[in-house]
Amino acid sequence: MDLIQTITLPALGSHLLVGLSRAMILFVVTSGMSFVLGVLRVPNVAHGSLYMIGAFAAFSISHLFGGGSIGFWLALILSPFVVAAVSLIAERSLFCHLYEREHLMLLLFTFALMLILGDLVKMVWGADYRSIMAPEFFRGSVTLFQGPFPRYNLFLLVVGPLVAVGLWLFSNRTKIGKIARAAAVDREMVGAIGINVSWVFAFAFVLGCFLAGLGGALVSPMVSITIGMDHDIIMEAFLIVTIGGLGNMWGAMVGSLIFGITQSFGVLLLPQFAIVFPYLAVVIILIWRPTGLLKSVW
Amino acid sequence: MSKGIFNLKTFGLAAAILIALAFLPPVLPRFYIYILAVIFVTALLAMSLNMVVGHGGLFQFHHGAFYGVGAYTAGLMLTKTSLPAWMGLVAGPFAAALVGLLIGVFCVRLTRLYFGMLQISLGSLIWAIAFRWYSLTGGDDGIHGIPLPSLISSSTGAYYFCLILLAVCLFVLYLIFKSPFGATLLAIRDNPERCEAIGINVRRHQLIAIVIATFFAGIAGVLFVVVEGSVFPDLLFWVFSLEVFIMCLLGGWFTFAGPIFGAAIMVSLRTFVGTYTEYWTLILGIMLILLIFFLPEGVWGYLLEKLGPQKRDLHKETK
Amino acid sequence: MLRVEGLHKSFEDFKAVSDAHLTVEAGQMVAVIGPNGAGKTTLFNLITGQLKPDRGRIIFNNEDIGRLPPYEICRRGIARSFQIANIFPRLTVFRNVQVSVLSQQRKSIRMFRPARTMAVEETRNILEKVGLTDKGDTIAGALAHGDQRILEIAIALGNNPQLLVLDEPTAGMSAEETGATMALIRRLADEQGLTVLFCEHDMELVFNVAQSIMVMHQGMTILQAGPEIVHNSRQVQECYLGGA
Repeated sequence: MDLIQTITLPALGSHLLVGLSRAMILFVVTSGMSFVLGVLRVPNVAHGSLYMIGAFAAFSISHLFGGGSIGFWLALILSPFVVAAVSLIAERSLFCHLYEREHLMLLLFTFALMLILGDLVKMVWGADYRSIMAPEFFRGSVTLFQGPFPRYNLFLLVVGPLVAVGLWLFSNRTKIGKIARAAAVDREMVGAIGINVSWVFAFAFVLGCFLAGLGGALVSPMVSITIGMDHDIIMEAFLIVTIGGLGNMWGAMVGSLIFGITQSFGVLLLPQFAIVFPYLAVVIILIWRPTGLLKSVW
Repeated sequence: MSKGIFNLKTFGLAAAILIALAFLPPVLPRFYIYILAVIFVTALLAMSLNMVVGHGGLFQFHHGAFYGVGAYTAGLMLTKTSLPAWMGLVAGPFAAALVGLLIGVFCVRLTRLYFGMLQISLGSLIWAIAFRWYSLTGGDDGIHGIPLPSLISSSTGAYYFCLILLAVCLFVLYLIFKSPFGATLLAIRDNPERCEAIGINVRRHQLIAIVIATFFAGIAGVLFVVVEGSVFPDLLFWVFSLEVFIMCLLGGWFTFAGPIFGAAIMVSLRTFVGTYTEYWTLILGIMLILLIFFLPEGVWGYLLEKLGPQKRDLHKETK
Repeated sequence: MLRVEGLHKSFEDFKAVSDAHLTVEAGQMVAVIGPNGAGKTTLFNLITGQLKPDRGRIIFNNEDIGRLPPYEICRRGIARSFQIANIFPRLTVFRNVQVSVLSQQRKSIRMFRPARTMAVEETRNILEKVGLTDKGDTIAGALAHGDQRILEIAIALGNNPQLLVLDEPTAGMSAEETGATMALIRRLADEQGLTVLFCEHDMELVFNVAQSIMVMHQGMTILQAGPEIVHNSRQVQECYLGGA
């Protein structure tokens, strides 16, 4: 009986919106992972750690600048670059030497990176919960579907598609983007026409990590920033990328939407097991379409 | 050529080690006995994983799921039902193998990375359910104080139980390794396409390997319950599975006994490093990187190569 | 024994094989020739099951095998070697062949007897026939290229086939090795009553060995006939000299 009463149109609507905004964060993060997966053909297990660093960096930067509006915007802009720098260091010092090896080795390297970054974050920021406040403008909520909808979430609903469009333009309209896409499909050919494939990989990896950092910065006002964030998000990212189609950016969008919305509806229907809904959806999709909903890049 | 199934030298060595281990409990402090028992359990788990990864070439990324299923089955049956204890213990591996079969049927349709990803998805679903079904599984806390038969509930009892089971399982695994099935698996690892062309139903062989491996993982799960007296959802969490993967790599996944060393090293390091610093994960990560760069054939693999090039199977990677 | 009728296979827009025909009689040595890209390997892949045809039939011993997976086709008596050395690089030469024999004996699932004692005679025989006996314990990946190609053939022989399908068996070999390999194939065919279907680039080689030659061009069968006729055929000469 309770169940029927909770499924009213406004409730559906507001949960849908929450799901959508969560999906946007997931999309920003997973688009980065998908990009790396497409070009390097390796899932970056450390992607979650970089997301976490993005959130912690946003916290630190925002506090450095007084914690107010300016602090927040600076954090949002600068943290992805911090994360990108970290990833570049990891890539150029170690990762790039593995490009000739078996893919499994690359994957294990990213796992090692996750372990190391996880503890480094613990060392630098400690195990306490941190939090950051959104700027004045984004605090509070608007009334949508007869319920309160946080303003910040609206912001996310705008940012998500912006990132999607930006990434799409980048991949399809810029020279570097096109080279990266070509390398995803046939790296030998790209190498054969004189392009330094190693730099293409470096670039793709750093860009992917930049997006992870951006995701972390974007999520920072919404959640408690803590050291378990990497594990949680990487699991979800893996699944999203798999159901979307490996390496496919639109797949990441579709996957994120499915994930975000099913989780949201899960909260509506069976709060205790909300977390199971997206996993179930993933399982069903993968059994039906094992290689993902959209075409994988390779 | 040597007679019988075993190389007499290997058999003799293994028997000697077994006997030596059997005499330890009266001599060592309880803590060390406990650690050794944990090593036995972990070694069995790693060996079972290696059957599909090192010898079969499958990307079994979520082996821990089956370990967890075995442990939870035993744990739940021992705490929630009034069935005899031994039933709970025996049910564990069968439950694990059943889940392994179910998940395997879907995963073997796919190649390599997709196999791994789908397995992670399905395994994570199990984790999510265990994590959230508080009333049944105790959720995040897990189940504690599982009643065990007095014979195996003591530290020493658990030790011997694990040692005996480990020895039996290793024996069986060795037989399989040396059998035509084992040889076929190695061939499938090297070149599945070629296997199809010589009349081998690759998927069926892989599925059989998965069921066997998950059965042994289930046994390891039951042993975990015996040693710890508890179950946690962490066993089902994907990160743990990757740690087991590392154990195989650390030991040498193209060898037979490598994972045992990997497990022993990992458990020992974790225990002793853990007393000095809380940054064990960092050390593990660095270790893994060193392994990838300098010792991809693993510790045992490296030693074997050094001891003599008479070893039949190669430890090098192919692309 | 083998009959291919009206076979078609396209990849997206590219017609790899269109309207191919082939007949192989028991005991024959049949060659498929044609310039690069003519579709020979695709045809072979269709016959041995790595690819499924879009249209057409492949009949082996009165059974339509077009839709069967490769391992089923192998079990019916067709064994194959590949153009690029497709061996088991981390296993020894002996093991490479042994696995094949065990598969043929349907013993690949046996778990409780040591492999070391099984199928030893048969494996040794094959190694002897192809001349790799002294390399039995070498890791296959370490073999010289020419030996790897011979190992390819040995693995196929392990299946005790009726029909041996060889995709460019002498690719990448020196002139000497080529001669030796073809002689070996000829000898095996005679001794064991094997039927052999192979494809080659080198026309001279083919004319000395094959009883029936099928010429392919741009995915189609131009003609199939004895060496004399093919040698003198205008059509064939045009393809090789004039065409792509």
